[in-house]
Amino acid sequence: MLAFKLAYQNIKGAGLRTWLNVAVLSLAYVLIIWHQGIFLGMLKQGSQAVIEDEVAGGQYWHKNYDPFDPLSYDQSHGTIPDKLAGLIQDKKATPILITQAAIYPEGRIQTVLLRGIEPGQTILGIPSSSLDKGEDVLPILIGKRMAKSISLGIGDYLTIRWRDVHGTFDAVEGKIVEIMNTKVPTIDKGQLWVPLKELQKMVSLKDEATIIVVERNIQGQGDVSDWKFKNQNFLLSDINQVVRSKRISASILYVVLLFLAMLAIFDTQVLSIFKRRKEIGTLIALGMTRLQVITLFTLEGAMHGILAIVVATVYGVPWIYYFSKTGMKLPGATEDYGFALAGRLYPSYSVGLVLGTVLIVMATVTIVSFLPARKISKLKPTEALKGKIS
Amino acid sequence: MIRFLIKGLLRDRSRSLFPVLMVSAGAFLTVFLYSFMKGTMDDLVNSNAKFDTGHVKIMTRAYEQLADQMPNDLALLGVDSLLERLRSSEKNMVWTPRIRFGGLLDIPDERGETRAQGPVMGLGVDLFSPESQEVDILNLQNALVEGKLPQKNNEILISEEFAKKLGVKMGETATLIGSTMDGAMAIHNFKVSGTVRFGITAMDRGAIIADIKDVQYALDMPDGAGEIVGYSENMLYDDDTMLPLTQRFNDNFLRDDDEFSPLMLSLSQQNELGEYLDLVDVFGGLIVLIFVVVMSIVLWNSGLINGLRRYGEIGVRLAMGEPKGALYRWMIYESMITGFIGSTLGTVLGLAISYYLQYTGIDFAAVLQKSTMLISNVIRARVTGWSYVIGFFPGLIASVVGTMFAGIGIYRRQTSQLFKELEV
Amino acid sequence: MIRLVFYILLASCSLLYAKEPSGKTILEEVDANYIAENRKLISTMVIKGRRSTRTLQAESWIQGADKAFTEYLSPAREKGSKMLKLEDELWIYSPSTDRTIKIAGHMLRRSVMGSDLSYEDYMEDPKLSNIYDSELTGEENINGRDCYVLELKAKKEDIAYYRRKLWVDKERYLPLKEELFAKAGKLLKRLTVNEVFRVDGRWYPKRMVFKDVLKSGAGTEFIIDSIEFDVPIPEYVFSKASLRK
Repeated sequence: MLAFKLAYQNIKGAGLRTWLNVAVLSLAYVLIIWHQGIFLGMLKQGSQAVIEDEVAGGQYWHKNYDPFDPLSYDQSHGTIPDKLAGLIQDKKATPILITQAAIYPEGRIQTVLLRGIEPGQTILGIPSSSLDKGEDVLPILIGKRMAKSISLGIGDYLTIRWRDVHGTFDAVEGKIVEIMNTKVPTIDKGQLWVPLKELQKMVSLKDEATIIVVERNIQGQGDVSDWKFKNQNFLLSDINQVVRSKRISASILYVVLLFLAMLAIFDTQVLSIFKRRKEIGTLIALGMTRLQVITLFTLEGAMHGILAIVVATVYGVPWIYYFSKTGMKLPGATEDYGFALAGRLYPSYSVGLVLGTVLIVMATVTIVSFLPARKISKLKPTEALKGKIS
Repeated sequence: MIRFLIKGLLRDRSRSLFPVLMVSAGAFLTVFLYSFMKGTMDDLVNSNAKFDTGHVKIMTRAYEQLADQMPNDLALLGVDSLLERLRSSEKNMVWTPRIRFGGLLDIPDERGETRAQGPVMGLGVDLFSPESQEVDILNLQNALVEGKLPQKNNEILISEEFAKKLGVKMGETATLIGSTMDGAMAIHNFKVSGTVRFGITAMDRGAIIADIKDVQYALDMPDGAGEIVGYSENMLYDDDTMLPLTQRFNDNFLRDDDEFSPLMLSLSQQNELGEYLDLVDVFGGLIVLIFVVVMSIVLWNSGLINGLRRYGEIGVRLAMGEPKGALYRWMIYESMITGFIGSTLGTVLGLAISYYLQYTGIDFAAVLQKSTMLISNVIRARVTGWSYVIGFFPGLIASVVGTMFAGIGIYRRQTSQLFKELEV
Repeated sequence: MIRLVFYILLASCSLLYAKEPSGKTILEEVDANYIAENRKLISTMVIKGRRSTRTLQAESWIQGADKAFTEYLSPAREKGSKMLKLEDELWIYSPSTDRTIKIAGHMLRRSVMGSDLSYEDYMEDPKLSNIYDSELTGEENINGRDCYVLELKAKKEDIAYYRRKLWVDKERYLPLKEELFAKAGKLLKRLTVNEVFRVDGRWYPKRMVFKDVLKSGAGTEFIIDSIEFDVPIPEYVFSKASLRK
């Protein structure tokens, strides 16, 4: 107890020097957490846009649907079960019907997927409202990559040929009403977006869908009769794979930052002990055991750490919180991005990261404070009193 | 004067050793962090490069427009002679042809009828030429799960998951049903020699790797290829060399009136990787910048504290009549020397480790997840010109500035007070 | 006098009865002309692609409307490849791989040898009167021949081409032009007969062009080099075993 009080007094007494060290150490804390967040955020950058435009909070798949097997599309459609219809009514989900079709840009046959979506939906970030223009022709929404590959623009017509549920050929001329700028190639290349009701009519599948996308942050979804729920993790598994594979790199980064924190405190401790050798000599001469003196100095170091945590929390938490919510604007290429949000990088933090960092840095600081203090055990008080260190 | 300084430094180790150690540690960490981040950034782009875009890619113009459809009817022809020209004119690049195709993989029973069948994507690469590096580029040896790499014609690798699904074993026949260059049905027998893990779900579901000559025969594409990819010899992408190379090639080969003339694209021009490269550059740069700033603060702080610690000594010297200005300058010179020595030491050590990582790397395969074609478990760094100097920013400049700040105290405090600082 | 009236009545009666045949009748006549109990023919297919033109030659044995066996004779790469149609099943055999593959589901939508004809088109029931209701809607002259214009509408729901238009030579009951339409009425494919010949009392197309109208290109040309009707074809030909021989 005495040691604590004494340690605290000593630190207070050192005034500016203490605060300088505390400030630097707190910077190290914040930096470690911030760095990891940015690094992970950068890796996950791809998933941001995919969540926005394609995956949202997860998808219900018709049991036969397999996006990797185009041969499954013919059988993968069904009526929407009541429970999910309820979600759709509450605007918490939106159905999409997917069918294969063929188009003939510049006279060359190309297989595409027709995706029928409600123009008024708000679950996905694509401009589906453009499909609500109420024209006589079939309105089509395509991505900019698709537009480039078929060399067509807004206002151009496109012949679409497909087969209805009985296998009969049908064809129609659609008009491109909008070209969207999306970062997600899978909803762009080879995809034509049309109004859901129209598509259902075209293939004679009234009120049916292939997948149902639910809104973000929705909780507690599970399989419903013929429809299997695929959560975000499942749908983003490829990106998550990349992030996982970079774990080691992220760890090395973390360790380097840890060394930085150690440097910050090490120097102070060593010099502090060196400078105060007379004081140490005095204390020992007055009867303090060596262990007590070592404890004193170690505690001083540790207190730096605690104070640094406090200071770091004061300015660090709002800073980090702000960043994780608003993200950082990506410079340079931002004009190319149609969506303001997709053009931002969202740092990725977790409570585990913060708590873990606090613990590890505290432990490191304490150990680094302890090591030089050990030298004290070898001091001869008489020499120390004289100002010498042996 | 310098000699005196150095003598002083050498004799009082506490005055010099610690600061020098601090500075070298700081410089070392900075150099290492920078080179390491560069290596990590490289890695993020590398899997794309190795598997898909190459550092540069050559396709016919018609093929490029529809590239994700793998339109082999629009493929490059006359590939052998094009490769020869490339290999002789651009010697410090690795050039290799590839064919992407799709179809069905059909496993026969004893009567030659279908036992199992599944949709498949295929990649025809040069597996057998002695100078081909495809096995390394695609990390095939590490990604192999069962069996062996193809040794003879018509042997293929298939994805592990796919093999399980189809129930096909090593050595069994697998028939590819695909499309020839003319759109006719291509039917060709292969033998499964081994299974691999690709690392992308789509390919792990159903993909095969075959030698390009076999694919050319199967798809009736003599001397043809969907694409030719090129890599810089050191496997590190650099826009500064690749963009001019692309320009040179297109000036020589691309013809406006021939949709089948070859077109070259650099990595940054494909798949919007240019944007990603910029993103990675900016954030990598930000991480390094912030690190340098904070490290500078740390070393500035230590410089400052060192200076503060020596007020006693300074007090004595002032009392002995040393002029303030000279004393101040003297302190600064001293810190410049320690800063310089420390930074140099730190930089040398940092470079040594970074070079080691650049050329050898550390293989974490044992610790991490299983190797796939796409994911390499080797950690690397990259040394650039900046690696040599970046350590000096926090190392030299910051610590000198710290000392400068401390030295200001000399002008402000009274001599007697400085004396008193002798006793704490 | 009464004889005159009688003859006039008779004449007018026959005029009355000799009205235009119904669409149904015409279509049935078309089928009757085209489909023999069996046929053996050698044909050539010319496929004009974007970069090259290919010519294939094949020999076919066809029984009624249900069974067909085709073997490719040239070029070298295709030689020995075989196709077997047994009612609604289609098998192909590849000699280089000794594989017998069933073409079903999506594979049917692929084109035969890269032509404008799909396997599905190849497989369709040649007896149009089975699948379509026919209505005579007019007359037109094609290349100097007077033709009935028939509009066909599918009888059932799972027919690929919902509507067709046929220009049938009035005298020979051979369609000289055929157009295939999507449900909403868009023209999808067109068959044009450029040359005809007569064999065993039947009029047959000698040269015709089949074209996917939505695709660019010159389409696929079919030429019947020779055809024999009602020749004895041994039953084993129409079996999977014969594919591997």
